[in-house]
Amino acid sequence: MIAVLGLVVGVVVGLFVQPDIPAAWVPYLPIAIVAALDAVFGGVRAMLDGIFSDKVFVVSFLSNVVVAALIVFLGDQLGVGSQLSTGVVVVLGIRIFSNAAAIRRHLFRA
Amino acid sequence: MSTTAPRRDERSDPRYARPDASMSLLTNVMEHSLDEGYAEEARRSGRYGSSRLPGTLRGKLLLGLGLAMVATILSMGVSQVQRSAPVAAQQRQELINRINQSTTTADGTQQQVAQLQAQLDQARRTAASGSGSTQLDLLELVTGTTPVSGPGITVTVDDAASAGTDLNNASPRAGAGFGNTGRVRDSDLQLVVNALWQSGAEAVAINEQRLTNLSAIRAAGDAILVNDHPLTLPYTVQAVGGPTLQQNFQDNAYGGLYLAQLKQEFQIRYDVSAQGGLSLPAATVGPLLNAHPSPSEGTKQP
Repeated sequence: MIAVLGLVVGVVVGLFVQPDIPAAWVPYLPIAIVAALDAVFGGVRAMLDGIFSDKVFVVSFLSNVVVAALIVFLGDQLGVGSQLSTGVVVVLGIRIFSNAAAIRRHLFRA
Repeated sequence: MSTTAPRRDERSDPRYARPDASMSLLTNVMEHSLDEGYAEEARRSGRYGSSRLPGTLRGKLLLGLGLAMVATILSMGVSQVQRSAPVAAQQRQELINRINQSTTTADGTQQQVAQLQAQLDQARRTAASGSGSTQLDLLELVTGTTPVSGPGITVTVDDAASAGTDLNNASPRAGAGFGNTGRVRDSDLQLVVNALWQSGAEAVAINEQRLTNLSAIRAAGDAILVNDHPLTLPYTVQAVGGPTLQQNFQDNAYGGLYLAQLKQEFQIRYDVSAQGGLSLPAATVGPLLNAHPSPSEGTKQP
């Protein structure tokens, strides 16, 4: 119940309140979103595995988003920003896919 | 020694690397797709395999907070893309507008160029038919850069028969020097020309050499040069002028009177005759390299 409420609040905040993102942070938003997706899929899989931990979920989500954005920011400063963001997306994409596969195995036994 | 080592120790022996060791990074990514923290935390709390949704209120709140953050960042990203799309379209439209505007400006400028060209043509035509062309014609006449025709007189001067230049008529260089008193000198011609100007001549040519403000009548060796062209005998001085020109010239001290004196003393042959229609050629004037119109003086009307 609280989880659903959290989701709704988050969507409302994101869509209607539209918190001001500093313009310098805008390029890192897509990477942060991919990292957030990775944390969500990981959390769902952990839940299905029966090892879910709310603390780990929140911490992993926050650290994923921050680290991903930080890596790309560092890459931008070094002039390899686009390559690094590609790398981050590839790694996170592989994790999302394998987590999604595990979720699928749990749900469909296949 | 080492080859006899048991096979089951291969994995722990650093000398026996995994066949996919070079792909350890990819293997790590593939095999550890789930955060290790989940398993560790579950093991620590002793609920490995049974921990699904948080049971405590604190856990529920934390999960709700986490999901709220996830939802926030996702919807923010979506709205960001939604917002930036119209901005991009707006910028594109702005660029298109600027291109169209510049094209219009270029077209306008082109039209202006064509208009000014036509105006220039018109002005040139007007000038050619108006006072400007009159002034230009006058200047050309005065400076001798255009052929002229009109009534005038012809003054023919020739050496004395005794000077011996008649035999090689066309080649004065082969004749006697100017020391011979029977010869017409450059100073004689200068005086005659001056007298013609004084008498009202408007254009003067010597042996088809039009006199301009850059002309010089001088002697070089045994020849008289006008416009740096050597003259051949006889010297025919043509002058365009009014009906009083001949009388004025005859009365001029350095004109008819001087020639008469020369004839009397040195047997110089000369003849002055009025001509109804004289045709004087144009002078070939080279470009002036150093003389420029002085801007402060302005142009005086001739």
